Amino acid sequence: MNQAEVIAQMQTIFDTVFLEPVVLTPDISAKDVPEWDSLTHISLMVAVEKSFGVRFRVGEVENTKNVGEFADLILKRKQEP
Amino acid sequence: MDVGPLKNLLLKGDPEFWAQLKTLTKSARDFEELFLLSSLRKKAHARHLAKPGSSAKPLRFALVGGYSLYPLHELIEHLCELENHPVELWQGDYDNYLSEIMDDDSGLYTFAPQVVFMLPAERRCTYTGHLTDARELQQAEAQRVVDGVLELARKVSEKTRAEIITTNFMLPARHDLGAFRSRTLGSDWAFRKWVNLELGLAAPAYLHICDWSFLAHRHGGLAARDERLWFESKQPCSPALLVELAREVTHLIRSFKHAPKKVLVLDLDNTLWGGVVADDGLDGIELGDTSPRGEAFKAFQKYIVSLKQRGVLLAVCSKNDLAKAQEPFQKHPEMVLRLDDLVSFKANWEPKSENIRAMAPELNLGLDSFVFVDDNPAEIEIVRQFAPEVTTILLGPDPSDYVAQLADCRLFEPRSLTSEDAERTNQYRSDAQRKSLAASVTDMASYLESLQMEAAISEFMPVDVPRLAQLINKSNQFNLTTHRRSEAEVSAVMKDKNFIGYSVRLKDRFGDHGLISIVIGEKSGDTMNIDTWLMSCRVLKRGVEEEVLNELVRLAKARHCQSLLGTYLPTPKNEMVRDFYGKMGFTLTTESETKREFELRLENFRPRPTKIKIFRRAYENL
Repeated sequence: MNQAEVIAQMQTIFDTVFLEPVVLTPDISAKDVPEWDSLTHISLMVAVEKSFGVRFRVGEVENTKNVGEFADLILKRKQEP
Repeated sequence: MDVGPLKNLLLKGDPEFWAQLKTLTKSARDFEELFLLSSLRKKAHARHLAKPGSSAKPLRFALVGGYSLYPLHELIEHLCELENHPVELWQGDYDNYLSEIMDDDSGLYTFAPQVVFMLPAERRCTYTGHLTDARELQQAEAQRVVDGVLELARKVSEKTRAEIITTNFMLPARHDLGAFRSRTLGSDWAFRKWVNLELGLAAPAYLHICDWSFLAHRHGGLAARDERLWFESKQPCSPALLVELAREVTHLIRSFKHAPKKVLVLDLDNTLWGGVVADDGLDGIELGDTSPRGEAFKAFQKYIVSLKQRGVLLAVCSKNDLAKAQEPFQKHPEMVLRLDDLVSFKANWEPKSENIRAMAPELNLGLDSFVFVDDNPAEIEIVRQFAPEVTTILLGPDPSDYVAQLADCRLFEPRSLTSEDAERTNQYRSDAQRKSLAASVTDMASYLESLQMEAAISEFMPVDVPRLAQLINKSNQFNLTTHRRSEAEVSAVMKDKNFIGYSVRLKDRFGDHGLISIVIGEKSGDTMNIDTWLMSCRVLKRGVEEEVLNELVRLAKARHCQSLLGTYLPTPKNEMVRDFYGKMGFTLTTESETKREFELRLENFRPRPTKIKIFRRAYENL
């Protein structure tokens, strides 16, 4: 899996959660999406972890700046045994 | 879960959205599913999507605790709204509950909540000394935790008269301490168990326990926690358990205003025993300890008897020949249920919906008090269609799951178990004997005399509060105003000098009826307004109505009133008392579609004679 494939899979999750369509790009971040508030964020994280079968470590999602970095984090966690 | 169609309904502005949302909410188990539904609900409100049906007045609901209350509040708001108990929310700040509760001027009290939900912090429920300290020391500290929670609840109750719900404490799920864990009260495992137990046993009537420890146990101890979410956003538990917690609180809120079901109607073949008694014969049915299947049916019967013992009325409704249907009850050695456990036995070839409809007037209960269980989907369907007020449970396919299906149905949960619940079957049964006596006595007066009735009239007393609230919330037929009151509200009436409130207990030679009538009056100038007058229909026309009025007049005169004001507020169920005040000698003063008012001048009133011996009157020992 590469970053683009991860973002494509994330897109389906975001399409479910958000009412207004959002096209995910590596540069986009929560502050660009009005519906992506702190409450929705918890829900998104739970959905992403389930969908990719990963578990993030404490605090690390917070440190990602945009969807690209978030996708890289998913890739990194996926490569762990 | 596919939310696509639901989103389309929302985007099109179709009010069908709400029905769909309700269906999906019922089945949603995962946090993210429920959360998503909730956010769609909020978006629908933001778009002013019309909601069909009347919406109830929101309940002011405050949430305080030692955790982040986001997004728990969101789930509770969502579930309550879709259960038709909308809430208006006020949340405390993270871990600010002690000062929010103890400070008289806090936002909590400005909000004037009707329900307060507290989640005391788990990290304060831990023994701070050494594991090997004397048990007395450890126990004293555990008691201080219990007292702390009770004290918070007492303070909230004094300030608000709200119903209060508190969580208890989740237990640890790690192996820490090993076998030693259960040999000292100093371990979190034992300490919290002790606190939970004491808290539940010592909680006053206004405090309801949201049994978080049980919910976590049911969900699975390891899956109940999420340490990462605690560090990142101070979440109280794992998202999955958060859903269970929100559902439980919603269930508690609902139970404040809705009485549990009263009657369990049972099918026979393949419900109480395996096989078909009319085909397989008495010896051919599977029941009892000789086979695993037979054992499962017997266990189901034992569970049903335990429901009866806590006050649920049992009835049978079977497509059968009556003699054949009753034969196992009379002759099968492994039957646990006996004919005298049942208040009604319908075995015939009429549709089951009609049979259940016929039971309602026999037992003086509304159809919405009935639960029907059957293993046959066709029978369930006919009842659903033709007696939709009845709640149905489709059993099966495995009889070893029957007990679990009933034990998880959440329809027969007592709010507080009164000893009178357990007496109820006996009361209904002696009613039947009484009716046969009535047939043998020629005139009504000598019949009533032969009953040897005795009544005690008592002002509201703290010990009666659970039973009073129970009756106030479930009486429908003989109920002049159908004013509902929670336990907290009943206690408030007790303390208010402008109110009188009393109840009547009745006994006769066949048994004790328990508490069967309640009156609440409010003095206004020289008039006593009858806020509430209700009575159990089982004791109709025995003279209780007259004695209640005699007492009301006595109490009103003692408070220098000149007249009684009686109000009748019609509901679909209380037609029987439409003319009650007229029959009792009141004069109709105003009348409209929604209200009839009656007056009784006290100077002309003569006490009405009855056949009841009154051996105690209200407020006379004060």
